[in-house]
Amino acid sequence: MLDRLLRRRVIFVGGKGGTGKSTMAAALALLGARAGKHVLAVDVDAKGDLASALGSHPTGFEPRTVQPGVSSLRLQPEETFQEYLHIYFKVPRFARLTPLAHVFDFIATGVPGPRDMLVVGKIAYEQRRRQKNGRPLWDLIVVDSAASGHLVAHLTAAHNMLTLVRGGLIHGQVEWIDELVRDHGRSTVVICALPEEMAVVEAIELNKRLKEEAGIAVDACLLNRMVTAPVTAAQRRLAAEMSDDAHRAAVVERLGGDPEPLATALDLAANLHQTGRVRGGELAAGLQCPVVDVPLTVARPGLATTRHVADELAARMA
Amino acid sequence: MSAVERRANERRGTGPHGVTVFEMGSRLRQLEVIVCAGSGGVGKTTISAALAMAVAAAGDKRVLVLTVDPAKRLATALGMKGLGADPVEIPRSKLRSAGLPPRGHVVAATLDMKSAWDRLIERYAPDARTAERILRNRFYQQISDAFVGSQEYAAMDTLYELHQEGEYDCLIVDTPPSRNALDFLEAPNRLSDYVGARLLSWLAGPSGLGLRAMNFAAAPFLRLADRLLGGEVLAEVGDFVRQLQQLYGGVQRRARDVYRLLRSPAVGFVVVTSLDPAPFREAEFFATKLHEFTMPLRGIVVNRVLPDQLRDQGAVQAATVLEEDGGVATWLTHELGHKVAADTAHSVGAVYNTFHTLADRDARQLARLHRLGDVPVSRIPLFTDDDVSELQGLVRIAGLL
Repeated sequence: MLDRLLRRRVIFVGGKGGTGKSTMAAALALLGARAGKHVLAVDVDAKGDLASALGSHPTGFEPRTVQPGVSSLRLQPEETFQEYLHIYFKVPRFARLTPLAHVFDFIATGVPGPRDMLVVGKIAYEQRRRQKNGRPLWDLIVVDSAASGHLVAHLTAAHNMLTLVRGGLIHGQVEWIDELVRDHGRSTVVICALPEEMAVVEAIELNKRLKEEAGIAVDACLLNRMVTAPVTAAQRRLAAEMSDDAHRAAVVERLGGDPEPLATALDLAANLHQTGRVRGGELAAGLQCPVVDVPLTVARPGLATTRHVADELAARMA
Repeated sequence: MSAVERRANERRGTGPHGVTVFEMGSRLRQLEVIVCAGSGGVGKTTISAALAMAVAAAGDKRVLVLTVDPAKRLATALGMKGLGADPVEIPRSKLRSAGLPPRGHVVAATLDMKSAWDRLIERYAPDARTAERILRNRFYQQISDAFVGSQEYAAMDTLYELHQEGEYDCLIVDTPPSRNALDFLEAPNRLSDYVGARLLSWLAGPSGLGLRAMNFAAAPFLRLADRLLGGEVLAEVGDFVRQLQQLYGGVQRRARDVYRLLRSPAVGFVVVTSLDPAPFREAEFFATKLHEFTMPLRGIVVNRVLPDQLRDQGAVQAATVLEEDGGVATWLTHELGHKVAADTAHSVGAVYNTFHTLADRDARQLARLHRLGDVPVSRIPLFTDDDVSELQGLVRIAGLL
């Protein structure tokens, strides 16, 4: 499963906020690099969480190497627009574009379409870049996408633009971007979810919208914060017996504290494990793609956590 | 019954301040409008629905809970399929059998964004022909659901209308899942500012002629735009913008009315948050902004709080010995009189320590709550069993509010 996923050229990592998208995107980027690929990790959100998940301070508009084999950049609509004008219209990159930028900003504030188009356009442009020897500059691009609704907007932007603008230079430029996004051989989406009902509903809804509105197939769903290990009868028995009057005093003395709350944690773990299984089943049925459990961790996001998640994904997606 | 459930039940009916059943419901029942705000993913929709039940339990009120979430999650939460834009009353018999003694009525509705916008155009356009032209414009059809804070604006507009009609005693609004909860407060102004902006007038000149004549600096933009899009598209955009400007007066008046309503004593805001750092920061920010806008914060709901027992310091000590002391399994085998495997002892300790770390983090966030203002706080425990999707679960939360 992982091999197939890493053979794509662009992976959009999407899902509800708080599902750990940045960590997952960063982990997939590390896995790509481990497979010997040149990877570009793109942060679409302005918060810059992707860079910190890759152990780097915030990146800018220019790709910067953040890990061996992994470069990263953060998309900025204004800079993307300037670059676009520079490449296609030879407008000097740092020309005084104030009135133009102002007009663009004004339109883009009102109607998100152009912004979405620039986001996906920049990604498509990076995907097409070549080295001097003709090889692609990036073997794989991993995109830490914005929240669900915005991801659909990004991925349908090219198509919408095509229906609105039937002539002009843009039409030709947008056409190949739309083709790239819809080509399942090259582009795919990985959805992140949590084992909570609403997150599952949203993931299934996102999958449906991607399929119907954007014609895009989802390769996998990463179900984060799962209590993967079941609570065993032996564990429950141990917790119960330690709090039993017959042993409690001795246990408190040997362990240095009250063992009773341990049963609460086991109850919670058992419940979460069970809920997670049910939610995982619902996801698998609703998405028609593999659902991969990612274990609950108490570690803060950062490179160490990303590496740990990458190891888990490698083992679970083999 | 699990320990989690048992404790949840024990706490049912007594909020953190030891007050009676449906405390928040009775405290807020005099309000005509309750706005539930907070970032996405904190269970805001569920809390809104539960709050509606709490208000209906506290008094003989007709309560409407209005969700604007296109995912129609409220429908799931209420156990109703295909909840549409038309209000649907939850049968009182169903509420009663779910454990809620209703004195009032609970009605639920979702807001259909597209038709809300169409209504808006029809209402504010100076004449039917203008309305028709806007509605038929291809740009309008593409963007009406993505236009500057349009979801938020449509929600406010509908809320205002419903309040004017007066069919319900209490309106509870579940705010749209904005990137930023603040959008909801700023939407009316942003939209009216945008529609009224001078820059838009330039663009709206006949096929950009106004722009050409008035602003030399913008000439490169027009040349580029012509080449990029083709002249036809530019003309169409201009047409759209020109029509849109005719709505300005109406939109601006409505924005003023909405703000007046939101500042009136009949309105209260309830901020919903979980203890995850990001939504919590958002809630703090929103509370500050409410204060700035002089809009009253009437309650805070902290959702998904882990049980206090997980913060027991003695238990951490015990758990750590179980997790790390290699000799403890042998000792337990001897003490308990049967074989205790080393990994069983290790796991029991590790599970506690994991949840302890999470509960501890929660507690640190809870300690910061006072920063949100001096308002009553409801703590809703994490329900690990899955019944918040059923009516009974909502009733349980209503009791905890």
